Amino acid sequence: MIRMGFAELLTPHEVRRTHEASLEVLEAVGIAAHNPRAREVFKKHGCSVDSETGVVRFPAEIVETYRAMAPPSFTFRGRDPKFDRTIPDDGPIVVTGSSAPNVVDPVTGVERRATSADIATIAHLINELPGFDVFSISTLADDAPDGQFSLSRFYPALKNCLKPVRSNTPNMADLRQVIELGELIAGGADAYRERPVINHHYCPMVSPLTMDVDSTEAVLWLTERGLPVYTTVVPNAGLTAPMTMMGCLVVGNAEFLAITTFQQMIKEATPVIYASLPTVADMRTGAYTPGAIETGMLLAAQAQLARFYDVPAGGYIGLTNAHSSDAQSGFETGMNTVLGVTAGATLLNMGGLFSSLMAFDFAKCVIDNEIALMDKRVWRGLEFSEDNLALAEIAAVGPGGSYMGRQHTKARMKTTAVLPRLADRSMRGQWEEAGRPDIHSRALAEARRILAQPNPAVWDGALDATIRARFPGIVAGDALPLDAPQV
Amino acid sequence: MGHEELFAQLKQAIIDQDEDAVLSSVNTALDAGVEPKTIIDQGLLPGLNVIGEQFECEDIFLPELMQAALAFQAAMSVLEPKIKESGNEGPKKGKIVLGTVKGDLHSIGKNILKLLYETSGFDVWDLGIDVDLFKFIDKAKEVDADVIAISALLTTTLVGQRDVIEALKDQGTRDRYKIIIGGGATTQVWADTIGADGWAGTAYEAVNLTTKLVS
Repeated sequence: MIRMGFAELLTPHEVRRTHEASLEVLEAVGIAAHNPRAREVFKKHGCSVDSETGVVRFPAEIVETYRAMAPPSFTFRGRDPKFDRTIPDDGPIVVTGSSAPNVVDPVTGVERRATSADIATIAHLINELPGFDVFSISTLADDAPDGQFSLSRFYPALKNCLKPVRSNTPNMADLRQVIELGELIAGGADAYRERPVINHHYCPMVSPLTMDVDSTEAVLWLTERGLPVYTTVVPNAGLTAPMTMMGCLVVGNAEFLAITTFQQMIKEATPVIYASLPTVADMRTGAYTPGAIETGMLLAAQAQLARFYDVPAGGYIGLTNAHSSDAQSGFETGMNTVLGVTAGATLLNMGGLFSSLMAFDFAKCVIDNEIALMDKRVWRGLEFSEDNLALAEIAAVGPGGSYMGRQHTKARMKTTAVLPRLADRSMRGQWEEAGRPDIHSRALAEARRILAQPNPAVWDGALDATIRARFPGIVAGDALPLDAPQV
Repeated sequence: MGHEELFAQLKQAIIDQDEDAVLSSVNTALDAGVEPKTIIDQGLLPGLNVIGEQFECEDIFLPELMQAALAFQAAMSVLEPKIKESGNEGPKKGKIVLGTVKGDLHSIGKNILKLLYETSGFDVWDLGIDVDLFKFIDKAKEVDADVIAISALLTTTLVGQRDVIEALKDQGTRDRYKIIIGGGATTQVWADTIGADGWAGTAYEAVNLTTKLVS
C-alpha cells in the first residue's frame, strides 16, 4: 500500500469547509425527491418536505447523525468466494465500465449494437484477466426478449464469470426477476440472503440535487432487504453544477450526503461507497468529458472527502472520450487512474469502453487490464524494509559487478515489476520485422488467445436447466470465440 | 436615429448577448414606428446569424450562444403579441414535439434544444421529462407536428426512442412525422438501427438537421 500518504488536493480546513458548504446546500436549497416513498422516508426521519414541489430540506444535525452510521467498508461478492472483494482493504479494485449500448465488433472493427452473446464473451474475458476484480456488465443486450431486458444481461454475465457481477435494472419487475435468478444460482432464497452474488448499482441522484423515481425505488427496496447496493453521483460542471471545481464538488458531495442519509434512514449501517463520475463539460460545445483530467482531480478530492466520512471511495475514472485504442485513449485512462489511486480511491470503474461509455471494445479491455495491473503496482508502493534495502547484496556484488546472475535477483524478478504482455519493449528492428504491430492488434490477439480456451467459470448443466425452465425463452448466454460471428 | 442605425444597434445587442440592450433597442425601434416583423428580420436575426457563425468556429462558447438566444427570446416575448395583434403572423418553420423518454429525468440538453428551436422560428411543444411514448404520439397528432424530437441520456432508457417509432409503425402513422433523436446515450448507429430520420450530437446541429428535414 502507498506508504507516503495519499495525494491530497485539499487542506484539512478545505475538506471541512466543503462538508459544511454541502450541509448548507442540503438545508437551504434541498433535494427535489420525485419518489413519493422516498419523501415519506425523509419526512419520517426529521427532514422537511414540501408536499407540492417534493423538495426535501435536511437539517444539518440530521445529515450528521445518519451519515455517521455508514460503515467504513463495502463488500462485492462473486459466485466463487475466492473472488470476493472488500474495499478499502482489498483495494484498489478494478471494475469494468458498464451499460454501453454498442460494441466494436472484434471481427469487422465496426461499431454495432451489443447482444447477450457479447456479454457472455466479455464475462469470460473478464473472468480470465487478472487486473479486473468486478464485472460490471459492460453492455446492453439488443437481442433481449420482451420482458427480459435485465435478465438477458445478468444471465450471460453470471453464467460466464466467477468474479463479482454488478449492474442495474430499469424497473422493479426487472429487479425482482434478477433477484430470482440470483436465488436460483445460490440454491434458494435463504442461501441468497446469506451470500447475495449480485451487486447492485444505481444512479438515483440526477444532478443538480434531484432524486428520480425508478432508481430511487430500487435503492429503497434493496436497502430495506439488506442486499448490496451502492450509488454514483454524476455532477457535470457548467451544465448540472457550477463552473468551478469546488462548486462541482459541493453539488456532488451534497448529493452523496443526501443518498447516504437516505439509505441509513432506511436501514442503519447500510454499507455505501462514495462513488462518483464528476466532469467539467467542454463549454465550446457542451460535450461530455469523462476522459478529461478534471474528472481525475475531482475524483481525487472526493476520495479525500470519503476519508473524512470514513467510507470507501472511487467511481468512474479512466474512461475515455477516444473512439479507438489511440494515444488519447491511453493517456486519459492512464493519467486519471493513477491520479485516483494515489489519492486513495479504491474502486476504479475503468475498463473496456470507448466514446464516453458508448461502446465496448475487446482490445481496449485487454489494454485496460494492463493499466489496472500498473495502477495496483503503484498502490503496492516501494515496499520499504531493511531487507529490501539489499545491503548485503550490494556488498556481495561490489563496485562494477552485475546483479543479473544472482540468486537474489532470480527470487524477485517476477514480483518487483509489472510484466506487461502488451507494452512493447523490443528493439525497433524486431518490431519492424514483426510487421509493426500496434497496441490494438496486440491486445486483440491476446483477447483471441484467452477466448479460444474453454471457460472454467460456466456453471453446470443441471443449474442451467433449472434456470432455463424457470425463464422460458431466455437467451443462450454462451461465450463465443472472437472469430465467430457475434450476432 | 435612422432605421439602419437602429437595426445595427439591435444586431450588435444580440452579438453582445446583452438582454437589457436588446430590450431597450427593441423598445426604441417600436417607438420609432418600426414594424415588429421588421425588427426581427432586419435587426435580431442578422445578429443571431453572426452568433451562429461565431459558435461554429469556436469564437464563442455554448454559454454565450445560449445567452444570445435568451436575449432573442426576451425580445420575442415583447414582439410576438404585437405581431399576433396585427394579424401579420408569418409561417413558422415547423411544429416540433419534444421530450425526454420514459424513465429518464435528464432535461438540460433538451431545454437547450427547445430554446434554440424557438430562436430559430419553430413552434415547440415541450412534453418535459419521463415522457410516456403515447404522450409523444398523442401530442404529435393533436398539433399535427412535423417533427418528433426525442431525447435520452441513459443507455438503459434509450430503447424508449425505438418504442415511439415502433408504436407509430403499429398505428400506421410513422410516415406522417420526421423523427429525430439525440441525447448523451445516442449515436448515428442507434438512429439508423431504430429507423429514425436523423440524429444530432449537439442542440445546434439538431436545429440545422431539423431545418433540412422540414424544408
